[in-house]
Amino acid sequence: MSDLAPTEIKALVRIMDELDYYQLMHVKRGVSVRDVKKAYYAVSRTFHPDANRSLESDLRDAVERISKRVTEAYAVLRDPRRRQAYDRQLNENAGVRMQLAAAEAGARKQAQENEGLTPQGRQYFRLANDEIKRQDWRSAERNLATALTFEPNNESFKSMLKEVRKNVKYSPADRR
Amino acid sequence: MSEIAIGIDLGTSNSCVAVLRDGTVEVEVLPNAYGEATTASVVALRADGTITVGNAARANIIHDPAHTISSSKRLIGRYFFSEEVKKAQAICSYQIVEGPNHSVRIEVREEVFSLPEIGAMILRELKSIAESRLNEPVTKAVITVPANFNDNQRQATKDAGQIAGIEVLRILNEPTAAALSYGFGKGLAQTVAIYDLGGGTFDISVLQIADDVFEVLSTCGDTFLGGDDFDDRLIDLLADEFLERENINLRNDPFALEKLKVAAESAKQALSVKDEVEIRIPDVISAADGGSSLSIERTLSREEFSRLVNDLIQRTFKVCDEALQQADLVTRDLDGVILVGGPTKLPMIREAVEHYFGKPPKDDVDPDQVVALGAAIHAATLVDNEHNAFLLDITPLSLKIGVAGGLAETVIERNTPVPIEQTRTFTTFQDDQESVAIRVYQGEARESEGNELLGQFEFSGFKKARRGQVPIDVTFEINADGIVNVTARDPESGQQASTSITLSSGLSDGEIRNIIEERRSDRVQLNSELVPADAEALGAVRLVSQPVTSIPETKEALAESTPAPAADPPTASVEPSDEGIASVTPQDPGITTDPEPPTDDLESDDEDFATKVDRFEEELELLPDETLEPLEMAAADDVTAIMNDDDLLAMSRGPDLDPENPATQTSKTDAEPEADPDLFEDVGTDLTTLDGGGSENKD
Ligand SMILES: Nc1ncnc2c1ncn2[C@@H]1O[C@H](COP(=O)(O)OP(=O)(O)OP(=O)(O)O)[C@@H](O)[C@H]1O
Ligand SMILES: [Mg+2]
Repeated sequence: MSDLAPTEIKALVRIMDELDYYQLMHVKRGVSVRDVKKAYYAVSRTFHPDANRSLESDLRDAVERISKRVTEAYAVLRDPRRRQAYDRQLNENAGVRMQLAAAEAGARKQAQENEGLTPQGRQYFRLANDEIKRQDWRSAERNLATALTFEPNNESFKSMLKEVRKNVKYSPADRR
Repeated sequence: MSEIAIGIDLGTSNSCVAVLRDGTVEVEVLPNAYGEATTASVVALRADGTITVGNAARANIIHDPAHTISSSKRLIGRYFFSEEVKKAQAICSYQIVEGPNHSVRIEVREEVFSLPEIGAMILRELKSIAESRLNEPVTKAVITVPANFNDNQRQATKDAGQIAGIEVLRILNEPTAAALSYGFGKGLAQTVAIYDLGGGTFDISVLQIADDVFEVLSTCGDTFLGGDDFDDRLIDLLADEFLERENINLRNDPFALEKLKVAAESAKQALSVKDEVEIRIPDVISAADGGSSLSIERTLSREEFSRLVNDLIQRTFKVCDEALQQADLVTRDLDGVILVGGPTKLPMIREAVEHYFGKPPKDDVDPDQVVALGAAIHAATLVDNEHNAFLLDITPLSLKIGVAGGLAETVIERNTPVPIEQTRTFTTFQDDQESVAIRVYQGEARESEGNELLGQFEFSGFKKARRGQVPIDVTFEINADGIVNVTARDPESGQQASTSITLSSGLSDGEIRNIIEERRSDRVQLNSELVPADAEALGAVRLVSQPVTSIPETKEALAESTPAPAADPPTASVEPSDEGIASVTPQDPGITTDPEPPTDDLESDDEDFATKVDRFEEELELLPDETLEPLEMAAADDVTAIMNDDDLLAMSRGPDLDPENPATQTSKTDAEPEADPDLFEDVGTDLTTLDGGGSENKD
């Protein structure tokens, strides 16, 4: 069981609406998917409702609220497409919280905008996107690099490649 | 010392109870009075009013199919008109009737029981097994449900626990429990698949285990696929052959059909240890002339059976594909496959699983017990500070709100981690609208109709304004049990209405109180209190435990308190004998003299039912079109400005709107389900509202 102090819990609930997902999860922007997961596990060990059953009911409610927000943060940050949409929202100072439906819609919209100006660029970028979904980082890296040969200045290709490279060494295909 | 809390796997066919004793790390199954690890989930209602549960009750099916309730889990938390209920009606020999608010009830000997009540009888038996093994009262339990259970089914299972006098610490998904049992305390770092083929359903879940954290990555299932379907294939084969040979359709005789069922299941089970089985059903039916009695004798090889069911097995892998895809994994990524459920004891399934996953399934896990063991571990972690396990589960089904055009708008997608809370903003559909009906669905269909309606409530009391000008925030919360709570809020006034979604067919707190006060479950003759002689007198049959199943070493306590299993072979029973022969021994005279042959009513009831179903389906079709229409369907695509008017989805004028009756205008802050208007009557009212408008729609 976690040993959260009541004061800690109360303080966190008070400022929760001001914390962005990175602050909530204690991770840096640009963190790898694998480290997002690690952070989620670590924070869950503290805030999961099961870890706090012995608390008094108002504190338990507070912990549950935090836990729900942590889950939301995880559901956004673990998905590179959603995370991109979230980062854009942060950059625009448009709030620290993002509903999952909005994150998903944003991910789709961003993908459309970013999908490339040349037919070849679009094609390789799409392939890479599918591979990212499958967490096949290595193939995604290859195809993004190819897409960039057609559109060397495409910012979304570049930043995606950067993201993907962070994950390459953690590809499940390489784990064994 | 911390309190004792048990784990219960409340199965469709068999249930199992386990415990992690205080001060130990060993988790163990608590065997029933007959020394068996699992207890049949069957309830028999005797003519004298007593109720028996378990294997004795199961043995009663063959004598008295109309008064013996099996597979009730298929019905719990369902609407009467649902597909599942239709299917159950076709195969169940007891009376399934409609209760209030389109709920399902079971009628036996002129008594009507709700499904949670039947579940409670089984739970009472399991609780008493635990109490007699542990020699102390047990009041707390974790109860497992299939991952694909919707909110109604979870809630109804919780109600069953409450009726049985159990504090349900947690409703836990069966595959998550299985993973916990497999990985608890081992410090693993693995990705595993749980392949769970039960009596009626198939579930596959993919989990990542990181020491004490168990994260569910995805879960998928087929609620119409299980061991019973294997039996059906064999029953069909036997019945068809018999029809050809004798020109008699055994399916039309409930007693013959029961015998076929028993023989088919028994033959199937024997094939998990034998290459070939001989099926013998003496006196399956009397010849048309009424004189001689006819029999079935036939050998069945594994190969032949394999051919009969191969397409069913292959169907499970389609579901596996889906689960892996959702977890963004391929079979190579998995470190192990864990088998759960009786049918996975069949070698043909193990082989198919090995072929699909490219690795043999773990063989140190008992498919009959692993779920209860996991539930017991979780129960211990919840009452005891020494054990830790963090279950990061997901919601298996998308949660939606019914909107314009008969569509359902997703608020929380399936496979989203829980606990979670999500809000979306909707708006009014008409000028000066005073209330909205909020209909909550669970499922994957785009049209609201194709999803399960969890419930609905009305929200009112917001300012009057032009259509689309009134924002209404609807918040969905899913707690760690997977249980859903929905709140509507007027962001301008802060006014709020909320309801735990309660299925209209679910039991209200008041009803549960009444059921508890009625104490009908006191009539359950607990097997643990029977001496062996009594057990035999009641027709208790000790089904031969499956050779693959190892019943755990019995403890000293067991030796003291357990009646020895009935020594003599039972009169009416099925036993795969040493030679691999599955046979039904001749029926005892009691069968033919049964005072209440259950035959005739069934057919006429079916017709009744069919017309009712048609009517409900018509009503359901009308529901979405007439009530809701979108203002802007593009809304969902706008990322940043959920609060923009453009983002707001229109909702209809709510049902029961009546300016003369202030009660319907204020928001319902504490929905008391018994006071809920009938769900589908509502629709009728709603239609009038839209057509006629104004207040003359009252009644
Ligand atoms: N040895 C066996 N070989 C083949 N099938 C078996 C064997 N033992 C049991 N079964 C079958 O397993 C099915 C019941 O499975 P199980 O007990 O796992 O289901 P359940 O837990 O009651 O159901 P659920 O988990 O879906 O609620 C029945 O169809 C039964 O015939
Ligand atoms: Mg089961």
